[in-house]
Amino acid sequence: MQHKFTYIFLLILILSSSFVVVKNSEVALSFTLETTQTAFEAGTTIVLKVATTKEIKPLLYCSNSYGSTLLTPIYENKILSYTFPSNISSKIGVIKWELIHEESSISGEFNIHPKQVVSSMETYIGPPSIEAGGMDYSMLVVIPTDSLDNPLAENTLVKTKYQFLNLEKQDDIYTKNFIAYKNIYSQNKSGRILVSSEALHTNSKEFSITVFPAIPIDFKILASRSHAYADGNQVTTFSTSVLTDVQNNIISDGTFVSFFITNDKGSILNTSGTTINGVATSKMIHPDYGTQWTVKAYVEGIAESNTITLNYSQVVKDFKVEFSETNRGISVGPLQSFMNQMIPDGLEVKLFVYKNNRVLETMTKTSFNGFVDFYLKPDVFKNDTYSIVLKTAGLKKTFNSKILW
Amino acid sequence: MKETTNKYLIVALLIGVVFHGTSMFFTLESTYDALIHLFFSDHYANSWFEPWNYEWYTGFTVMSYPPLVHQSIGLLSMMGGLKFGLFSVALISIVLFITGVYRFSLLITSNKTVAGYASILAVFSSSFVETLHVFGQLPSIVGISILMHALPEIYLWLKTGRSRYLATSLSLIAVTVTSHHVTPIFGMVFFVFPLIGMVILDVSRDQVDTLKEVSFKIFLNSFFKLFNRIISFGMASLVIIIGCIFPYWINSKNNPITQVPIPHGSRDNFLEITSSGLMFFLIPWGILLILLPYIFYRYYSKRYLFFGLSITLLTILGTGGTTPIPRMVLGETAFNILTLDRFTLWASIMSLPLLGEFAYRFVEGDLKALIRVRFGAIYHRIIGGILAGLFIFMTVFTMSLGYFRPFQPQKIEMLPIVNFLNQDDHDKWRFLTLGFGDQMAWLSAQTNAMTVDGNYHSARRLPELTTRPIERLENSKFKGVAGIGSLQQFLTTPDKYNLKYIFSNDKFYDPILYFCGWQRLQKLENGIMVWERLNVSPISSILPKDDVAKWQKIVWGIVPFLTVLIAFILNIQMLLVNTLKTRHKKTPEFLKFSNRYSKFSKSILKITHFWSIFLVVIVFYNLYQFYLKNDSQRSPENAIIAYYDALDFKEFEIAYSLIDPTSNISISQYMLETSLSGGLLNSYAKLDAIETIITSRNDSLATVKVIADWITPLEKIRKIDYKSVSKYHKKWYIKSEGLDTDLPPDQLFSNNTTSYFNQGRRRITTEQTHHEDILKQPVLEVLSARLVKYGTHFAIIGEIQNIDNVPADIVLKGTLYDDHNKELATYNAKYHVKHKLFPKESSAFRINFEGIAWSKTQDSIPDTFNPDEFTPVDFKEHPTKFNLQVAGNVSGSDLYKKSVLSQLDINGDIISGNLFNSGIQEITVPQLLISYYDQNKTMLWVDHLFLKEGIRQQRKKGFEYQILKNGKIKIISESMENVFVNGLPNAHISNKIIPNRIENHSSSELQKIKHPDFSYIKIEMNSYIGNLN
Repeated sequence: MQHKFTYIFLLILILSSSFVVVKNSEVALSFTLETTQTAFEAGTTIVLKVATTKEIKPLLYCSNSYGSTLLTPIYENKILSYTFPSNISSKIGVIKWELIHEESSISGEFNIHPKQVVSSMETYIGPPSIEAGGMDYSMLVVIPTDSLDNPLAENTLVKTKYQFLNLEKQDDIYTKNFIAYKNIYSQNKSGRILVSSEALHTNSKEFSITVFPAIPIDFKILASRSHAYADGNQVTTFSTSVLTDVQNNIISDGTFVSFFITNDKGSILNTSGTTINGVATSKMIHPDYGTQWTVKAYVEGIAESNTITLNYSQVVKDFKVEFSETNRGISVGPLQSFMNQMIPDGLEVKLFVYKNNRVLETMTKTSFNGFVDFYLKPDVFKNDTYSIVLKTAGLKKTFNSKILW
Repeated sequence: MKETTNKYLIVALLIGVVFHGTSMFFTLESTYDALIHLFFSDHYANSWFEPWNYEWYTGFTVMSYPPLVHQSIGLLSMMGGLKFGLFSVALISIVLFITGVYRFSLLITSNKTVAGYASILAVFSSSFVETLHVFGQLPSIVGISILMHALPEIYLWLKTGRSRYLATSLSLIAVTVTSHHVTPIFGMVFFVFPLIGMVILDVSRDQVDTLKEVSFKIFLNSFFKLFNRIISFGMASLVIIIGCIFPYWINSKNNPITQVPIPHGSRDNFLEITSSGLMFFLIPWGILLILLPYIFYRYYSKRYLFFGLSITLLTILGTGGTTPIPRMVLGETAFNILTLDRFTLWASIMSLPLLGEFAYRFVEGDLKALIRVRFGAIYHRIIGGILAGLFIFMTVFTMSLGYFRPFQPQKIEMLPIVNFLNQDDHDKWRFLTLGFGDQMAWLSAQTNAMTVDGNYHSARRLPELTTRPIERLENSKFKGVAGIGSLQQFLTTPDKYNLKYIFSNDKFYDPILYFCGWQRLQKLENGIMVWERLNVSPISSILPKDDVAKWQKIVWGIVPFLTVLIAFILNIQMLLVNTLKTRHKKTPEFLKFSNRYSKFSKSILKITHFWSIFLVVIVFYNLYQFYLKNDSQRSPENAIIAYYDALDFKEFEIAYSLIDPTSNISISQYMLETSLSGGLLNSYAKLDAIETIITSRNDSLATVKVIADWITPLEKIRKIDYKSVSKYHKKWYIKSEGLDTDLPPDQLFSNNTTSYFNQGRRRITTEQTHHEDILKQPVLEVLSARLVKYGTHFAIIGEIQNIDNVPADIVLKGTLYDDHNKELATYNAKYHVKHKLFPKESSAFRINFEGIAWSKTQDSIPDTFNPDEFTPVDFKEHPTKFNLQVAGNVSGSDLYKKSVLSQLDINGDIISGNLFNSGIQEITVPQLLISYYDQNKTMLWVDHLFLKEGIRQQRKKGFEYQILKNGKIKIISESMENVFVNGLPNAHISNKIIPNRIENHSSSELQKIKHPDFSYIKIEMNSYIGNLN
């Protein structure tokens, strides 16, 4: 039992002595920021110095708007030096850092501001085409950037310059939230606006905005034709006056104009044209019977023309019909035009065969040298009595009770 | 006895390699299947272990076809390109086939000379020539060849029970199954079962003195004796057949073939469709037809009894739809999936040993003696000459079939297309080929770009495809109206499939492309026209796929070659011994059963003679019928049909030769007249059916009513003509018809138009958002839009105007919703809109809601389908709202607007009038868009009419239009709330540009009509120009 107490005593002695040693060597760990600068220019080397009381190398956590990383220090004479990598030090904005250790920690932040030297002008313009009249606009957005692709500081002056016709103008705008922008309104005239910008003596390249004419206003139409006869062959050309917008700009080439023609019978025909230098032309073949045309042109929903009337006089006054080959062969003609010349080839002649007031067959043929020949095939038309109606050039001839045999 | 090399086999191999090896360079690439196998090989060459292929059908798995042949070509392609691989594998298959036939014949006949004869004849057998040089079915050939190699091994295993033979036979079965799945399955039934029967008979024979003494009891005893071997072999081969291509079976189970059966010629009634009869019956059988009595006689002899049953079944199954038996035997499903020509192929291959035997007996055996005795030596020589001549004729004929009747379009130079797809990110979209034939597979093998189409129809996945009986969209015109209908769906809603480019090798499709809103981009150096569609977004970079487990991919990638390796190791020893004769080998068991060929049956000789005479009579009768049908001037009907056929195939010289010579038209005049008549019917129609009815006839004159159904890409046209036919010098001729004599006023005239050129990117860069070069999307305005119901189907109709200063290509996409805002259907505007609009031009439009046709009633595809008709979506809920998305893109093409309405008459419900072409382009297909309005001038409906004929410059053309009869149209929604232009609200955008729009501006120019439901109509013109000047 004696020994037991001896051992306990010894153990207590050893334990207590070890505490004494620990207590003697303990120096409190603390970090002190040595670097006082809190703003840096982008691209410079940033070294954060922290004084430490112990020789340890804790990692530094830092983050900017692009991301976060950990930095390893260099220890020298109780000073920890943290060098920020270029991917952090070349981007403007706030960098937050924090040095965390189990016993002590320290944190802070600093700013990186851009170099005030423009290396490129990031420019956007859109839409690339607008309408004349002062209402429509295109927006110019300029972001002057330094060599490290950082936008320049707030309120950097950007001179915008533009040229339109005789006008050359310059406007000063300032960057706000890194961008400078301006709405460029169209003028009354159509054409092309060239735009460029300048910041700190650096110029952008040339940009262009196309100013299209606005929508057309009402216009006039006229017709030209080689004669006023309804020969079903010649072509009448309609054309518009120069179509302009309300500011007197000639409207865009290719604008679609529809021409509606109403004839005596109330049929509505139509033709169309697209403008070239404001004038749209369209063509229409002459009718093959005497009629009156009322013509009006439209740009749908936007503008319209006056109404013009054209008269076409009948050329084929009458025509003869001859039956042959047991009444199955029907020869129509001569079809003669206004000077008694044979009508130009292609005049349509329609033959209707009726039986008990019901159309059995409609045949359409075109004239050749003033004549048209029909033949009623015996397989289609059995031997019987039929009514035969012939129509051409607005004329109609009826032959009732023709016997085919 | 010292073994000698079989000189016949050597000769067969030499001739076979020289004959097929040289000719395949001219045939193989234009066969039906070779290029498809090439495409699969390309897949393996690029991604050996990944079975998913994105290039076809919006993705499919290559686990749907056994891989060995494809992988072999793929492996060899690493050495010398895909085609090198293809030809090498083809050469190997030729050697395998010839040796296979030799071994099979040796097994059957137990006579080396006979087997040698058989192998020589096999080289030229028409079924082999057809399978290789016409169909290009390499896997099938490899499969059957290996199976023939396996048969002697199986025999030896069953007979001797030595496990070595079990290993060799199973190893060969494994190679067979990895090269072609159908071969071992049916091969088991048709080749191995009869072989087992033969072994049992042989074993029984060993117990008695003569074959005659083998009774059923002995047979049964032998069967039980061999039972263990048979079962062990059967079970093991079953395991191998399933195990070696296990991923294939899993895939078949997961993706069962649930598609509308695709018609195949081998299922036709050969008597009705004689071309199928030729391809799938006459050619594969060839000269064997004459020997049928001999073949059946021999195979029904006691030893071969089971082969007799097998070949009978094969022969009957091979007759396709000629008799109802194949359908009954196979069942409806299998009948519609299998191509039945393979049964004929197997039957002909099964007959080869007996062909060899017959030849041997005829040339140097007892048959020669018999004929000489009975008919004399000269007769023997003559018969020999005839038989040899027929045999060679069949081979030559089969070989050159592709020359007489090309299976494929002319060979297309693919390089310009491949270059086009690689250029400027064009492969970021899907493409489609039209009129390429099977060459589309070769294009796919050369590019990484994807297509919506494909050439392996079992793997199709889109319901738009699986519900149609068409193999490919690419050749849809040959699939009649169903094909065109399917194609139309893809052309109308290409954005759904990211389909932007179409390579067209067939101008037949041009009108449909134009009227669906496509535009011509450029003609490549190889003459292929590239069409593009605007406003289609590129394929997303991550695409869905049906992934499979990793072990499946590994099994699929490794096992096929492993089977070859194992088979090679197991069989090589015997092969070397056999060829090099290094040591004396015991005669194989089956050589003990040789026939002495001493007495040829007289009755068989007699029957063969009668049979031959019968065949000759049939052949001559058919030839005579053929002559009667094809002698174009024998009867009025023949003359008419020949004339229409000539017009259909543009053989104008033939057509001219049928024109009445007394009409004094010179050929140059005739050709001039036909060349001037363009249009839908003359240039784009395909004759579908023709019926002639003679309405009157005497000795020298006849009138024929011709009812011709033409399929055009746009609609089906039925045209009834009355043709006068007259007889002149004992030949019937057709009277020529009059010409349109319309004479234009001007000889030379001018026309000013505004034309546009879109630079695309001014700077040469593939940067996708080079913002300076992005044109603003043209601003469009939807003037009116309403959801209407006409009969049973719904449509969005309305009017749209380009209110910008630049021309626009427009895409309209409508979506229908029910009361609970649930989306019901989406579709694009097809024909019922002018897709290209000048500034300030407007167009009426209608969007139909087409369902995937016939998806519900798979088996009741209407016979009278019209491409213009469609299956409306079957709505379960009632649509009440709609959304309309309109997109404009700058486009300077197809802006021809010179079609003019020059005359109009309304007579009851018929509107007739004239269109006048006032411009300098010839209008190929004129179209009218007819809008209907009620008494308040509210638009109710939009209809269309295609004119059948084109309009030349400064000429007019009449039209007739039938006003809709039942016009009860119900307006369901008129809300313009959900109408968007380029993604922006319609009202907002239009107020900015045209704040003071004159509403219903030209409504005073609507044409009044008398109709109970409609009060006014408006007619607009649209025109397709086929040949731009």
